[in-house]
Amino acid sequence: MVDFAQNTIDGVMIGASYGLLALGFTLIFGVMRRLNLSYGPVIMFGAYLGTLLHVQLGFGAVAVAVACVLGAALAGIYVERLCFAPMRPGAAIASMVSSFAIWMQLEQAVVLLLPRHTYPFPPLLGSGTSLELGPLVLRLDYAVMLVAALILMLAVHVLLYRSRFGLAIRSIIENPMAAGLVGVHVRAATLGAFALASAAGGFAGFLVLAVDQQITPMFGMWATFKGLIAMMIGGLGSVGGAVLGGLVLGIVEVHSQWHFGPQARDLIVFVLLFVCLVLRPGGMLGQAPERGLAMLRDRV
Amino acid sequence: MDDYLIGVLSNIGVISFVALSSYLLLLTGEISFGQQAFFAIGAYAAGIATALWGWPLSLALCGGAAAGAAAALLIAMPTLRLHGLYFSIATLACAEMIRILFELFRYQIVVDGALVGPNGSDGFREIRYVFENDIGAFEFMLVIYAMLAATLACFAALERSRLGVALRMIGSDDVLAASHGVAVAHCKIMAAGVAGAIAGIGGGLYAHMTTYIEPRIFDIMLGVHSLAYGLIGGLGTALGPVLGVVLDVGVLESIRWLAGYRMIVFGGLVALLLIVRPRGLFDETTVYRLNRIWRSTIAPKRENR
Repeated sequence: MVDFAQNTIDGVMIGASYGLLALGFTLIFGVMRRLNLSYGPVIMFGAYLGTLLHVQLGFGAVAVAVACVLGAALAGIYVERLCFAPMRPGAAIASMVSSFAIWMQLEQAVVLLLPRHTYPFPPLLGSGTSLELGPLVLRLDYAVMLVAALILMLAVHVLLYRSRFGLAIRSIIENPMAAGLVGVHVRAATLGAFALASAAGGFAGFLVLAVDQQITPMFGMWATFKGLIAMMIGGLGSVGGAVLGGLVLGIVEVHSQWHFGPQARDLIVFVLLFVCLVLRPGGMLGQAPERGLAMLRDRV
Repeated sequence: MDDYLIGVLSNIGVISFVALSSYLLLLTGEISFGQQAFFAIGAYAAGIATALWGWPLSLALCGGAAAGAAAALLIAMPTLRLHGLYFSIATLACAEMIRILFELFRYQIVVDGALVGPNGSDGFREIRYVFENDIGAFEFMLVIYAMLAATLACFAALERSRLGVALRMIGSDDVLAASHGVAVAHCKIMAAGVAGAIAGIGGGLYAHMTTYIEPRIFDIMLGVHSLAYGLIGGLGTALGPVLGVVLDVGVLESIRWLAGYRMIVFGGLVALLLIVRPRGLFDETTVYRLNRIWRSTIAPKRENR
């Protein structure tokens, strides 16, 4: 029972960062209706800029966090300009493959930037210390990560639902053509959403890496995967779904690793993803894709 | 031919099979991230058949193809009603499931005094059929290209058949295809099965070419690359994916001075290419135009002679 509670707590904390990754992913997918495979590598690019500051100039966590966010936003804008903005409508596959090509590019760029396999990453506030609540242990840096993730989620939520910019983004998610007709500057808002999502991802990446205290070039793939899985489990294009998907992913991962080991953990996660997709393609909170209706709308 | 060139050419030939496998599904409008799994299944099945059971290569390749097709059919059933991104991610999940299962898969028996067979994440060593039967690297390359040529001939026949038209029709609009009497579900399942078989053959050839396979080789990177090949080379003809492989594996791996910047150059070029030609170098329109030029100018002249 204690193990169960402990695992669930750890799962929630890790899941919060997954949720944050999925949030950025879902924002991009909602606005573009296209898959941005280079989402993770964009985050990694920001994180490597931060690591560069940390390793070469000895900057602390705050400066590194700022570099992560700005670097990711910058790389995100680059991806949007190159892979998404110039594509004709209907060239969704081309955008996806193009974003994959940029993934390869970014991966090589970070290796050229810092050629060793692993680099240290500055720890979060309160690393190494833990809080004991009866039989349960609460790692302080996990708690900081959870709080930071929750604050950022709230900030994104407020931005999306309480600002003109958020209104523009939501209207584009609903229907880009109609949004353009009522005066939303679709291209500018899309670019903004892209930058915002990448920045949120960059911050999530910073939190995860700061807990791990190291970074490798595999991180880009890892981030794309976790964000993608959490988004698909939770439901495409829904903010709540992304958060829920992240939490579910985190909890399932921690529990299955505890009981069956790391290989079985990955297996269980993919089984869960597959079953979710087959049984409830829209995800837990998303709506099931109404194919007929969506196709009619496309044709009109 | 020197060994390096033979190595590169054999690699191009083998990877072309996965690219063609992804291409066949792209024709029906579905993006699969999972064709590398059937490549892996073919590789393991054919490797086990020759190294453990002493089958001849031809039979083992057939076995690999059958195993790939069976697995693909099994996965095609539940994913049939998924579309677009949902289908892609479902195939991705399946492929990763299969890869992890291979990490756990141990099946070793003693052959000629040594333990052979798949050994989890340590891989499957000593698939020595090609050595034991004195088949040189060059001869094996000819085997690969003969199989590839046969596969491409099948594709050429498919493109001229009603079935090929039906597949492309499903790809551009499956509701419209269904209302014109195309059996969409049948066609899709069949395409998935054939794509699995093609990947399976490629896997069998790969296992015997390298003599060593491990689950890590068959990760998602291989799947996404094989998709990208079709899009780079063009979706208008089965030669497109092969051209994509030649451009990536052949040209870029040979340019040594690019070594450290290979992906930066290649990634940028692919991104720019896809802006100008979103369906690849040889897309449907280009192929159609080339065909028309062929028919109107070159083909009649030859008949007149």
